[in-house]
Amino acid sequence: MSGRARARARGRAPGPGATEVGRPSAAPSPTSVDTGDKEASSSSGFVGTSRVSQQREDGISSGDAGCTFIERGGKIRRDVMDLGICTREKLAHVRDCKRGSSGVPVKLVTNLFSLDLPQNWQLYQYHVAYVPELESRRLRIALLYSHAEFSNKAKAFDGTILFLSQKLEDKVTELSSETSKGETVKMTITLIMELPASSPICIQVLNIIFKKIFKKLAMYQIGRNFYKPSEPVEIPQHKLSLWPGFAISVSQFESRLQFTADVSYKVLRNETVLEFMTGICQQTGMSCFAQMCEKQLLGLIVLTRYNNKTYRIDDIDWSVKPTHTFQKQDGTEITYVDYYKQQYDITLSDLNQPVLVSLLKSKRNDNTEARMAHLIPELCFITGLTRQATTDFQLMKVVAEKTRLSPLGRQQCLARLADDIQRNKYARFELETWGLHFGCQMSLTGRVLPSEKILMQDHVCQPVSAAEWSKDMRNCKILSARPLNKWLIICSNRDKNVAEDFLHCLRRAGSSMGFNVDYPKNIKVQENPAAFLSALQKHVDPDVQLVMCILPSNQKSYYDSIKKYLNSFCPVPSQCALTRTLNKQQMMMSIATRIAMQMACKLGGELWAVEIPLKSLMVVGIDVCKDDFSKDMVVVGFVASINPRITRWFSRCILQRTTTDVADCLKVFMTGALNKWYKHNHGLPARIVVYRDGVGDGQLKTLIEYEVPQLLSSVTEASSNTSPKLSVIVVRKKCTPRFFTETDRSVQNPPLGTVVDSEATRPEWYDFYLISRAACRGTVSPTHYNVIYDDNSLKPDHMQRLTFKLCHLYYNWPGLISIPAPCQYAHKLTFLVAQSIHKEPSLELSNSLFYL
Amino acid sequence: MEETTREWCSSMVDNCEEVPTKEVIEFRPPLYKQRYFFVKNLVQQHKPKKVADLGFGDILNRLVLKDPFYVFCRSNLSPSVGDYLVPRDLDLTITLYRGSAVQKDSRLVGFDLMTCIELIEHLDSEDLAKFPEVVFGYYSPRIIIISTPNSEFNPLFPASTFRHLDHKFEWNRIQFQTWASDVANLYDYSVEFTGVGSPPAGAEHVGYCTQIGVFQKNEAKATESCISTPEEHVYETVNPCFQVLVDEIFFLQVFTTAYPSLQEKKNLLLVLSAEVLRASNSMRLRFIVDPKKKKVNGRLVPEDSCVPRYGLIVTDAQRAQIESSPKPYCVGKKFYVPLERLITFPKVNRLVDSVERLRSLLSEALKLNRDQSALQVDLHDHYSRTMLSY
Repeated sequence: MSGRARARARGRAPGPGATEVGRPSAAPSPTSVDTGDKEASSSSGFVGTSRVSQQREDGISSGDAGCTFIERGGKIRRDVMDLGICTREKLAHVRDCKRGSSGVPVKLVTNLFSLDLPQNWQLYQYHVAYVPELESRRLRIALLYSHAEFSNKAKAFDGTILFLSQKLEDKVTELSSETSKGETVKMTITLIMELPASSPICIQVLNIIFKKIFKKLAMYQIGRNFYKPSEPVEIPQHKLSLWPGFAISVSQFESRLQFTADVSYKVLRNETVLEFMTGICQQTGMSCFAQMCEKQLLGLIVLTRYNNKTYRIDDIDWSVKPTHTFQKQDGTEITYVDYYKQQYDITLSDLNQPVLVSLLKSKRNDNTEARMAHLIPELCFITGLTRQATTDFQLMKVVAEKTRLSPLGRQQCLARLADDIQRNKYARFELETWGLHFGCQMSLTGRVLPSEKILMQDHVCQPVSAAEWSKDMRNCKILSARPLNKWLIICSNRDKNVAEDFLHCLRRAGSSMGFNVDYPKNIKVQENPAAFLSALQKHVDPDVQLVMCILPSNQKSYYDSIKKYLNSFCPVPSQCALTRTLNKQQMMMSIATRIAMQMACKLGGELWAVEIPLKSLMVVGIDVCKDDFSKDMVVVGFVASINPRITRWFSRCILQRTTTDVADCLKVFMTGALNKWYKHNHGLPARIVVYRDGVGDGQLKTLIEYEVPQLLSSVTEASSNTSPKLSVIVVRKKCTPRFFTETDRSVQNPPLGTVVDSEATRPEWYDFYLISRAACRGTVSPTHYNVIYDDNSLKPDHMQRLTFKLCHLYYNWPGLISIPAPCQYAHKLTFLVAQSIHKEPSLELSNSLFYL
Repeated sequence: MEETTREWCSSMVDNCEEVPTKEVIEFRPPLYKQRYFFVKNLVQQHKPKKVADLGFGDILNRLVLKDPFYVFCRSNLSPSVGDYLVPRDLDLTITLYRGSAVQKDSRLVGFDLMTCIELIEHLDSEDLAKFPEVVFGYYSPRIIIISTPNSEFNPLFPASTFRHLDHKFEWNRIQFQTWASDVANLYDYSVEFTGVGSPPAGAEHVGYCTQIGVFQKNEAKATESCISTPEEHVYETVNPCFQVLVDEIFFLQVFTTAYPSLQEKKNLLLVLSAEVLRASNSMRLRFIVDPKKKKVNGRLVPEDSCVPRYGLIVTDAQRAQIESSPKPYCVGKKFYVPLERLITFPKVNRLVDSVERLRSLLSEALKLNRDQSALQVDLHDHYSRTMLSY
């Protein structure tokens, strides 16, 4: 396996701590089109900033008013939107109880803090109108706040909408104030709604209250999270600073409101975009400078030094210079140079720099054109890691070392935060006036599922650790393998000896696992991508079972051109490995074993299995990934098992326009998979369980309204009498809860197979958390499963255990992974297409795991 | 450095004075900004270490009393994220007090510059009488700036009243200058008069919209010592509002904040490392593409001057200085840049003044060669390994 291949395999699997940084770097998280979160969040972040003063005729309505709120054009956080979608009520078998039973109970500490409100607590929403109308938001707020009536009340006010925790005496209150000019302003405060603590608007107001509190703790909001720039972790050799902070939210969990905080780091480059561009210029020269800048910079989030705002770079306008003029809001023209001088007293040094273009999200929901912001590179700092940086092993290693937190370290951060909140005078005042009580860290009871046996050809092994069982299966025969007879090795002239040594090991490793590897045809070529490609064109014919390429360097062009050719133009399974990897003498045998396994899979072999009590079950994994090449394309991957043992797979992939946002092709894929199953098993599967990964915030509704029906229609059309039963589960690796086990005075990661299905789950969903990934040094993050559709009516216990079993079946890693294998396969497939081939792979390959 | 405070004050003036009514005469930049730029220029010119601004706040200031944070969250008194990204050269601490301009407080003694921008017109006759003794007599800073409206300008405005509801008086030039000269004489200051907000064409005779008096203490010795050591700029803001609302004797410290600066080693180290790496990177890339290299004592030395082509250097003199310093070289897969060359780069030189200092700082953050005379980096970094083919 090449270094690249390994990096990819691990990209989301049991990888090194790199994913720890996940939040700031926003690694290749599929379709997470939630750039919005990272982007220009208005400093106030208020619920309903739109200044609509329409008359509401309906008067007071109590209860859930989520829709009214959205209609008014307020911004509602997309993850909050998902919470409004109650899928559980439709699932009769879990309406009363969604808890499993098997396994050993384990006591867990969480990063959730209870937020208690007095019984019958309500939030009162008022509308405030000013006569005469006042333009300045600040003045509107100041006038209202200056009234003695409000001085000691808990309040949140954005200039139009006022929230109070105590009801005013009258439904309509008239007040008047005098401005410093002596002008009398009449304020009419009208009660609009009474909201219970569980309503989405109320939860958003609580989130705003916590934002205020965090600002008082000297933290700065960047995107959605809060950071402390005064205590940075510095990495001077890579020009990086890491700001520690927290991702926070308030939301309704199973039985009560909870405040969640997770440690997060913000990565900042200690150089401006202009300096970064100068660096690119020195590296590439002028010829492809513009192109390279765009490749590196577009999509990045920058922080401007003169205001605390973040923007996404959507474009670079090379035709605009700082000396050009633009129109200010009052209609006057001014040059960028003068503007920054006058507004911020900043003198621009480079008058030839282009401007960065950022599309601003409109705050209102009307269809006005998106506004553009022009930013000066010299005044912008890059946040997060560039794509170039994420592939730099050295850099990522340092970042991981600095940001990786042991469970204990994380727990200490949380304890300190809770302490800070409770000690801070302003925070306490704020919480008290609202009637909020910030409680202690919540503990709950989870269960550790029984460990699984790994079934090999003539041996059943019980791994010592489910995290990795390569040692346990040494000298065991894999389930099935086709012999490799006709194949090629292509390497550079220099690497002739490496290839020979490797071949020797490969044959030995293969034979011990029951995979017969014959001698290949050896082709030596010159050391450049074109030479490799022409060797392929010359020597690969349809009889060739597999092509192995030994790559002299990590250059992307080698890998991409080979994969592109052999996956779509001339469909033959291929295996790439780096010379550097194969040169590691002492690790040769284990490397050869891994590569032998991958090769066996690529030829359609099966490595191992776990016991699946359900007969005739098909499992499906779906993932979505943004194309690296053209930003408006997404790659949808679909991988389905085609035998009851769940060891053989059918893989399909398609590129589609981002605008559709959801997988459009699922019906076709599902029908294809059912046909395959029918062909191999002479019947249809009795049950189908679909795991859907790559779901962004706020997409749940679309999934239910659009994707599930597609899958259903394909399933019902497949048979006229009894059609297979379908379950759909949304898999999310990014979730805020964390769990620790407490052992005398210290905290640790919970054991593999820990399930949490109470208290930290959501009342409106049939959901659970499962820890199926080992973290050797950092803190493990649980995977969240949300069953949104379930005809199978499996007991929750069975659903949890099936999911756990499926996490054992990823053939690229002899151990548990964090998500079910079909999802990981789908991810691997979409990643390959999105990063390297940008084309649909040939259908001829769909029966093997050619993308491992 | 003083900008932040200025902006905070401006927000008040902004709201209460200029925004609500559209005046016929518009100033560009707005008048309040002209006043701040005026002060700023003076600060730059005299480089005071400690500055106090006695200000008047009305509606927003009343809020300070009730919910101090309300104002601070929305003002720019606290350092912004950008202040952490681009640390200032010198330390800065800002303290906000609430108190009265006519009550003596020992914490305000020993300042170099005091500004009273649009303040005196808010004082009633009793307070105005006490004011000079407190500010000139007791605090007695080296420089005092006092600004106040010029009533001769008022006829040009549509409204015929005072410019602000709370103004107790608005003076014409003679009234102000008489008062100011008397005060200056009494406390041994010299005063010069100027202003901001030029009158429109044809009305030049009315003078500036805002009249300003700049008072300097008649004491040569004190001035010298201050200018020579501009290490620290402390900026203090005093907001004397309504006596009745405040503790009668003491100023109440409402808020204080310190800004990150290059005086802190960790900040300096970070900025310096970034500059040094940028400089060495530019030379390294020149070195790689340069075909002519010769071997000297086991070192691969370029024939090229290895002076970067883009960015980093502005003038020919700077270029010449770099060219005359020791060349970078290569041994094996490591690239070395002599510290003596690094320090010739203007942006590096701005941060440290000697090779010794550069050495002692860099040795904490980056890798130096064995005798610590040169910076050591990989000849081929991640980028050149994966993206370029040679």
